[in-house]
Amino acid sequence: MGETLASSKIKPASSTDSLKTPSKLQKVFLGILLLSLLLFPLLQFVVGGLNYWLHMLLYTFMYIAMASSWNIIGGYAGYTSLGHNVFFAVGGYFTGVLLVYYDVSPFITAPIAGLVSLALGLIVGLISLRTRGPAFIISTIALLMLVKIAFDNWDYIGGTNGITMPPILSLSLNLVKFPFYYYMLLIAIGAVYTSYRIRHSKFGLGLRAISQDEIKAEVAGIPTNYYKILAFGISGLFVGMVGGIWGYYLTYLRPNIFLIILVAAQLVLMSVLGGKGTVAGPVVGAILFIAIDEFFVANLGYTELNIVATGLLLALVLIFFPQGIVGSLRERGKLPAFLDWD
Amino acid sequence: MNQFVQVLLFGVTLGGVYALMASGLTLVFGVMRIVNIAHAAFMIIAAYIAFFAFDLYHIDPIISVLITMPVMFFMGMAVYWLFFSRIKGAKRAGELTVLLTFALALIVEGLLGYFFTNVYRSAGPSYATEALYFGRFFLSAGQFYATLLSIALIVLLWAFLKYSRIGYAIRASMQNLSAAQVVGVNVERISMIAFGIGMALAGASGSMMSFLFTFYPAKHWEWIAILLALIVLGGMGSLGGALAGAFILAISSNLIGYYFGPTWSPITFFLALFVVLLVRPQGLFGKKLEA
Repeated sequence: MGETLASSKIKPASSTDSLKTPSKLQKVFLGILLLSLLLFPLLQFVVGGLNYWLHMLLYTFMYIAMASSWNIIGGYAGYTSLGHNVFFAVGGYFTGVLLVYYDVSPFITAPIAGLVSLALGLIVGLISLRTRGPAFIISTIALLMLVKIAFDNWDYIGGTNGITMPPILSLSLNLVKFPFYYYMLLIAIGAVYTSYRIRHSKFGLGLRAISQDEIKAEVAGIPTNYYKILAFGISGLFVGMVGGIWGYYLTYLRPNIFLIILVAAQLVLMSVLGGKGTVAGPVVGAILFIAIDEFFVANLGYTELNIVATGLLLALVLIFFPQGIVGSLRERGKLPAFLDWD
Repeated sequence: MNQFVQVLLFGVTLGGVYALMASGLTLVFGVMRIVNIAHAAFMIIAAYIAFFAFDLYHIDPIISVLITMPVMFFMGMAVYWLFFSRIKGAKRAGELTVLLTFALALIVEGLLGYFFTNVYRSAGPSYATEALYFGRFFLSAGQFYATLLSIALIVLLWAFLKYSRIGYAIRASMQNLSAAQVVGVNVERISMIAFGIGMALAGASGSMMSFLFTFYPAKHWEWIAILLALIVLGGMGSLGGALAGAFILAISSNLIGYYFGPTWSPITFFLALFVVLLVRPQGLFGKKLEA
């Protein structure tokens, strides 16, 4: 097994035996980044009018959390899921229903929504992960369609009209984005940290062995079934959590927002763009994608051209840089230290 | 009992059209191992061509097959050359092609939405609203003609694969790509032609779709999910399997729609897909799928 991995393009096992301690430079970089993200909202009191930037940042945090989670099953284990927004929707509806019918704040229930998504991931994984490659991808699309039809026809959760939730009224305009900002930041940190820990664990090594050659991995004694189902569950966890918060932030839930395949496509694109199977890749991809997306929205309007751009970008990256930004830079030996977490 | 037979009749005729739609998809998978997520998006392109041919030039949607099939054939060859000839032999090619066709579907959807807006459309030839009576049973005339044409095209496809030289080569490539190459089949050229034929079948399906169903750019997601369910049930890459899957699921979805209400009939496809993946991942007639 060691031979297979060492001979592949993935970095050899040296960095996976134990948790790689980040270099001093990396620690400083991370410290400054986190501190500035923590303090940034306070600028609101100094200059004011930062709600747009807070919105963009928390939106970015959300996608960082989701892309990093997707990467655990899609990148490390190599099982591309095109139905990951099912977890997003389940998380959103879980907290939404509890808020509307039982008046419990989503800030309390979001972690539970994550656990519900995890459980769903384990159950779905038991069925879907019996297949591989293209068949697995098809099964995740089918899951998405199935859940969409179910949600569209489920009257308790509002059917196609969805649920409308009360906004947070008690906060002033200056403060209203704060709880969402910090909550999303927290989940994003959790997701990226989990992804990092998994990358440098025996579990992560097993997942990467599965993505290289599942039969050899099985022969080498890796409990492949258990590993990949667990990975699918964990990758649902954070997606469910951000879903729970995002629904509250939007103040309405609708199958047409949460359960369209474009959301799943974006998760895949972010990971592929940044570099599938790397820790920093999905983060870079998410930031870059949202920046590009925002550029298109500002310049072309939020229309069909946005879909074209998403598709075109995905096709170009797949054909010319299948390794993504982080992977391509590493291949050329030009990966800056602050992006090297593998 | 009469009702049951009537519903069955609807199911069988619908199955014929589904079979035509699925045949192109399964052909492309059989030869190139490409799961063409963009297949239904190309059907929608053809549906728009047929719709505007009818709307602007009063060309009958059934006759428009003569336009959509060649147009989509050449478009298919161009798409193959642009996107798929470049990634031959890439690592994890199966997954890569799924993502690539997925990207293609997004591009097509976006462009169609940009040029033709998201208005629901449907061509309205006179026979779309007529009914044909067979004793105590009836069928929509449009559905009847579409089914006849679909079956004719499938027979043509079968004869082409069975008796032409290119057909031999395509069948050889479906059975074993590298062995076909060894005995002198120009696999690259055959792949391109097979992709073109797959797209031409999508073109014919689009012509039928233009008057049988309403369509809009994003509609292709629903269609591709249904078509994938059909070919997974039948066994991916097996033409006979695609036909069987089409009829089985068309009939059962109609029965479920009749007994439980129309909103639940689409569920048939996805439930069937899950059950098949769970019980018999290779489908009814397929070889086991390799990653």
